[in-house]
Amino acid sequence: MEYGSIEREIHVEATPEVVYQVISTPEHLREWWPDEAEFEPVPGATGVISFGDTSTPEAHVVPLTVVEADPPRRFSFRWVYDEDAAATPANSLLVTFDLVPSGAGTLLRFTETGFREKGWEAAVLEEQYRDHTSGWDHYLPRLVTYVDRLVSTP
Amino acid sequence: MSFTIDDELWSAVGDPIRRRMLDLLLTDGGGTSTTLSARLPVTRQAVAKHLAVLDRVGLVHVTPSGRERLYAVDEAQLARAIAQLSSVGATWDARLRRIKRIAEAIQRNQES
Repeated sequence: MEYGSIEREIHVEATPEVVYQVISTPEHLREWWPDEAEFEPVPGATGVISFGDTSTPEAHVVPLTVVEADPPRRFSFRWVYDEDAAATPANSLLVTFDLVPSGAGTLLRFTETGFREKGWEAAVLEEQYRDHTSGWDHYLPRLVTYVDRLVSTP
Repeated sequence: MSFTIDDELWSAVGDPIRRRMLDLLLTDGGGTSTTLSARLPVTRQAVAKHLAVLDRVGLVHVTPSGRERLYAVDEAQLARAIAQLSSVGATWDARLRRIKRIAEAIQRNQES
C-alpha cells in the first residue's frame, strides 16, 4: 500500500464541464475551500488562496501554482510551499483532479501527492494512525477529546 | 480552519525508532535514555539524540532526576501531531463533498 498520497473518488451527478468549473475557478473555490482565491486557471499561473479575514494578521495567505488546466478533464495545482520560493516537486504538494464521464455524471478522482518528498513521512504516520498497531491504539482513545478540540479550533 | 502543517513536528514522529520511544514512554509513564536504550536496538547515545529531537518539537518534557534526565510524553503536543495528519485526509473528504453538492446544484439549475 502506498501511503505517500491521499487518493479519493467521488461520483458527481453533474457533467464534467460543470465539475471542472467548480474545481478550477476562484469564484467557485471560495464556496468549497478558502475564503478568498485569486488566480487564473491556466497552466503556470501563480496566485493565492487565503483563509480568514485578510485585513487582519491572523489571516493565512497561501500561494498556489496551477500546473495543468485541461478542461474538462484535468486540473492540477501545487500548494503548501514557501511563498518566497517557486513551487517544485520537492517543496510542495500536488493536488490533481481528474474528471471521467460516468453515465450522466462525472467520476471525480482526487489525489494529493508529495508528502514523502517534503520529508513529512506522513505515509508512515498515516499507516500507524489507521492501523492502530504496535501500541498506538492504547493511547489514541485517550487523545480523542484533545483531537476533537484541536480539530475544531478555528 | 487549521491547515498549517508543522514540518518539524511531522518529521519528529516520522522516525520509527522515535515512535517506539514514544510508545515506551507512554506505556511506562516516562523514562531515561538508559532505560529506553535497554529496550531498543540502539545505543544510549543514539537514544539521547532522538530524545533531543522530540524535546525540540515539544513532544517530550524533561525533568532532572538525580544524575539522569527523566523524559515524559507531552500528550497534547502528540495529539496535535496526530490531528494534523488525520485532518489532511478528512478535510479533503469534506471539500470533495462540498464540490459534489455545488456541482449538482448548478447542474439541476441548468436543467430546470
